[in-house]
Amino acid sequence: MSPLEFILAGTLAAATPLLLAALGELVVERSGVLNLGVEGMMALGAAVAFIVSYHTGGHALAFVAGALAGMGAALIFAVPVLMFRANQVAAGLALGILAGGLSALFGRPYESLTVRAIPKIEIPLLSDLPILGGMLTQDGVVWASLAMAALMAWAFRSTRLGWRIRAVGENPAAAHAIGTPVLAIRAACIAFGGALAGLGGAYAATVYTPLWADGMIAGRGWIAVALVVFGTWQTGRVAMGAILFGALSIGELVVQATGIAIPSQALAALPYLATIVVLALISSNRARMRLNSVASLGEPFGR
Amino acid sequence: MTQTRRAFLGTASAAGLASALPLKLSAQDALQMALVTPSPTADVGWSHTLVEGASAAAEAVGGELSVLENIAEGPDADRIMQRAAANGAGFVILGSFGYMNGGLQLAQRYPQVSVLHASGYQVAPNFSPFAAKYYQGTYLMGMAAAALSKSGKIGSVSAFAIPELITSVNAFALGAQAINPEIEVSVVWVNSWFDPASEREAAQALISQGCDVMFSNAQDTPSVIALAEEAGVYACNLNSSMQSYAPNYYLGVVGTDWAPFFTAQARAHLEGTFEGANYYLGIADEVVYVDDWNGDIPSEVMGRIDDRLAAIGAGEFNPFTGPLVDQAGETRIPEGTTMTDQEIQGMDWHVAGVTTPLPS
Repeated sequence: MSPLEFILAGTLAAATPLLLAALGELVVERSGVLNLGVEGMMALGAAVAFIVSYHTGGHALAFVAGALAGMGAALIFAVPVLMFRANQVAAGLALGILAGGLSALFGRPYESLTVRAIPKIEIPLLSDLPILGGMLTQDGVVWASLAMAALMAWAFRSTRLGWRIRAVGENPAAAHAIGTPVLAIRAACIAFGGALAGLGGAYAATVYTPLWADGMIAGRGWIAVALVVFGTWQTGRVAMGAILFGALSIGELVVQATGIAIPSQALAALPYLATIVVLALISSNRARMRLNSVASLGEPFGR
Repeated sequence: MTQTRRAFLGTASAAGLASALPLKLSAQDALQMALVTPSPTADVGWSHTLVEGASAAAEAVGGELSVLENIAEGPDADRIMQRAAANGAGFVILGSFGYMNGGLQLAQRYPQVSVLHASGYQVAPNFSPFAAKYYQGTYLMGMAAAALSKSGKIGSVSAFAIPELITSVNAFALGAQAINPEIEVSVVWVNSWFDPASEREAAQALISQGCDVMFSNAQDTPSVIALAEEAGVYACNLNSSMQSYAPNYYLGVVGTDWAPFFTAQARAHLEGTFEGANYYLGIADEVVYVDDWNGDIPSEVMGRIDDRLAAIGAGEFNPFTGPLVDQAGETRIPEGTTMTDQEIQGMDWHVAGVTTPLPS
């Protein structure tokens, strides 16, 4: 297999945990709430999903459990943030630490155990294509995540629900004035974001690397948070960003494996450098910044 | 008794950290021992071997062992080891290089406490670094790997480009060359002790490049080994056996058994004869061992491996004996010269046959 083929084949799977978590965070931030606990919610989803998968041997139930765990953790965050107008940064960080700790606690007896991954789907004809065949042979979750991205892009652009979420994030006072239930929408978005983060963790622990090890999310939750900014709160760009990060994380290792003389640390830093560059670019132009970012992000709403 | 600090912080941070530490002030004379490890203690891996060794030592000297696992290197670790000493721990084992500075301060502050520190280089009267001569075992594993490789390409997924792991790759390559002079070893540094997903991707990348034997160099999770079984390539690793993750394709383990060393040191502490020294321990010290060889290794090669094992154990053979040529083709160690322990512990270049350039 040529290095290019390998990168193409591995990219989508590597991107899936990032994509799921980033899509979740995107919905939360679009509704005007900043939840920095993604890393912890992913870890908790991963631990719970792994435990369920380990005992049942299946994956459907594991994904449901992982999503519920992420959602449950997110609701713990929603209570102080929405009901008591707590600082979202502080509450999000606290949630991250709490959920990360819980994942370590629940996962303790399962450390370094393994489960069976779900098989990849061979698509007749397409999977046999040269070069692209590997890329088109993925497990169902990968396709479902991409479908989710498309669905979300459509929802934000063309559905009443998407518009209401955006209104709540841009100007909650105005949305409230025309009768939109601001807090209820934000709560639903937080729950949905937690569920997707949990799903991302579940994919990481039961499909992508089918084993549990404490700390295995290894910063991917933070990348997901960065991706939302990287994608300037646009679903399509966030999805592209996740795929780009996936490609870079695989590419870094392929470059090393083929013996090209580039320092591995420099390659490992590349995705983060890209995020900083994008941040600098969108921040340098005030008008574009205002156009893209969510106006009331991080501001509590209430009487 | 073990306790996951992070788990505890997560569930009961309000209760305060002090009560989280399982060390008790006890009136009895039993030696209080503390072991600090950088990763969670699973059934396999580096932390696991330390726990095994420390438990055996505690049993042998009638001590009480507290395991403080998954402690991040840095201020956190410093505080936790200070706390352990303040609570009466007399014998402290620090399981990671990054605990060195905090450990030295601890040793200075508590002269009556004896400290063992993994893979460091600083020595104090009550502070001894210890490290395993993995290279003695990886040389033998390299021989087996070369015998089973059809493509002539072997891959290593390695943690950090530090001398300890550079030497283990180098010796692996030298051992492989003893069987097949044309063999090539590719290395991927994942820059983490603990990132199962990256380890897996790295192993996949190496396999895609035609490597058909994997050497998981100091990775504490079984992800490389489990992947190798899936992909149908042979794999070996350090520290503790992961045969159960690859029943068919497990090549073998370069294991470490710290029980004799820890026991002797704990005894020395109790007798007041503990002395700070640099312990670099190998097959002759019964710290490094090789085990769980795959049945597919040809018996002729197995015989040569056994001969080498005996020669290394008897001190008659050292893999790092000249002529050794580096990747640029320059002779670094002339014929007939053997590298000293100090030179081996500071090795920062790859031998010829390792195809990946060393990250600078």
